[in-house]
Amino acid sequence: MPAIRERYDALVVGGGIAGMQAALDLSEQGYEVLLVERDPSIGGVMVGLNKVFPTLDCSSCICTPRMAEAAHHPRIQLQTWSEVQRVESDGDGFRVEVLRKPRYVDEDKCLGCDECELVCPIDVPHEFDYGLGARRAVYIPHANAIPHKAVVDLEHCVYCGKCERACPTEAFDFAQQPVVDTTRVGAVVLSTGLLITPMGAKKEYGGGRLPNVLSPLAMERLQSSNGPYGRVLRPSDGRVPRTIAYVQCAGSRDRSIGVPYCSRVCCMYALKQALLLRHSIHDVEVTLYYMDIRAFGKGYEQFYRRAVREGVRVVKGKVARIQETEGHDLLLRVERIDADGRLEEHRYDLVVLAQGLVPAWHADGVVDIEEAEDGFVRTPEAKLNPSFTTMEGVFVAGVAAGPKDIPDAIVEAGEAAMAAANHLERIRWRAGPLRAPEDEGEEGEETEAELAGQALGGRWA
Amino acid sequence: MTTVPVAAKPRSALQALRESRGGVSAEMKAWLKDQQDVRKRLRAALARGPRTVPDLACECGLEGGRLLWHLMAMRRYGEVTEAGERDRYVLYALKRG
Repeated sequence: MPAIRERYDALVVGGGIAGMQAALDLSEQGYEVLLVERDPSIGGVMVGLNKVFPTLDCSSCICTPRMAEAAHHPRIQLQTWSEVQRVESDGDGFRVEVLRKPRYVDEDKCLGCDECELVCPIDVPHEFDYGLGARRAVYIPHANAIPHKAVVDLEHCVYCGKCERACPTEAFDFAQQPVVDTTRVGAVVLSTGLLITPMGAKKEYGGGRLPNVLSPLAMERLQSSNGPYGRVLRPSDGRVPRTIAYVQCAGSRDRSIGVPYCSRVCCMYALKQALLLRHSIHDVEVTLYYMDIRAFGKGYEQFYRRAVREGVRVVKGKVARIQETEGHDLLLRVERIDADGRLEEHRYDLVVLAQGLVPAWHADGVVDIEEAEDGFVRTPEAKLNPSFTTMEGVFVAGVAAGPKDIPDAIVEAGEAAMAAANHLERIRWRAGPLRAPEDEGEEGEETEAELAGQALGGRWA
Repeated sequence: MTTVPVAAKPRSALQALRESRGGVSAEMKAWLKDQQDVRKRLRAALARGPRTVPDLACECGLEGGRLLWHLMAMRRYGEVTEAGERDRYVLYALKRG
């Protein structure tokens, strides 16, 4: 693992699809980028998804090549299992503090061979599968993880030492300590991503309490070929479901839980999951209860029609509450908007709450930027400079700025990279990490163009 | 908790870490004990042949959801495999060899 250098051109905070794109677009222009990810692997939410809409391409098949590219790019330094603690103005650029959390495994020695994981005696719920599957107390984050290296979860460790003895390369290092490193950058891109609204936000839906009420991300994992059950089963008893309901706007457009906005992606991910369920379980009935179907993107309306054509039932109605029977079936009380508000009750094997998107990170005390009322990063020039924040030199990309789908996050990341590059040129941030800042004065003969060439990795020198 | 001898050099770092964190928490001791107990019961039932989750819940006296989680952990780490379906339920079996 290379040490954090004294200077980079840009810092990218968050290694999901938007952050990887911004880092790649900057590095391809010759800038040196530090990409910091708080999880032990890059890939963000996207690498855990099953398929993407409306093309039904395999999500991880699109995401993993991008992950590999970002991890192996000569001008991107990847720093996983690390958190940006502070970004503050410092002359032209920014002074940045990065906390590197101990993996208790030497990344340079670890082969990612799984031997430690296989001998670990402790199984705990796996975050990557939203608790439906298990991992060990020492684990490779997931099948497509980059870096593909083990990490020790000390909270669940019983210090038996089996992992250490099983390791063929003596990679374990239990003497590792958290380290705070300081560096300087000329520009910052915040791509800190999303969480979904908490499962228990709407108590009347029983999320987090009733085992067969699932989050959409848990359903993504169940539908994935390497998911926790290897197929879609009810978590309460392992039965193949025959009736499934989707409750739309279960975490959006709802002032009662403080999420008044539309999360933009729920209609489409629900239609996608519903259609794929129809493909994978031959006799399944899937019903979507919606307020409005918002299929706004390229090819989305056609996808909606296709889902309906292929048997997904859509009902304009608001689900008032969800109750459980003794056998963990679910009773949905529905107000039919399309039938004069008639109240109905229907029984389902499984329910998915179409939860909304909320920011995964807040700037409080880390960066002195403003957040909007909804908690996402404020973008004061949203029309003409959508990646600008309230702080010069700090840009935003992806869901950190507001709910959006994958194509929009990627487009925005490209724009943020371009804006960051413009900023670096404007402030003439020339000292790339190839040379320490104190060396600059000694070679005062160099022209600006030469310095620029060095910052650009010599490509145009 | 049984003490397992480890190689001399790494022992010090691991043991120092263990001591600095006050040893294994009571919660983790209980967690491990529970896991071992559930697995023992599942193995015993599965040794009699392929079973569905409701079969196992009945035979082992365990709640279905908790049981499924343990069964899927055993599947992930190669102890259990699928062995067909019966009435919308998957049959699970111990992996041979």
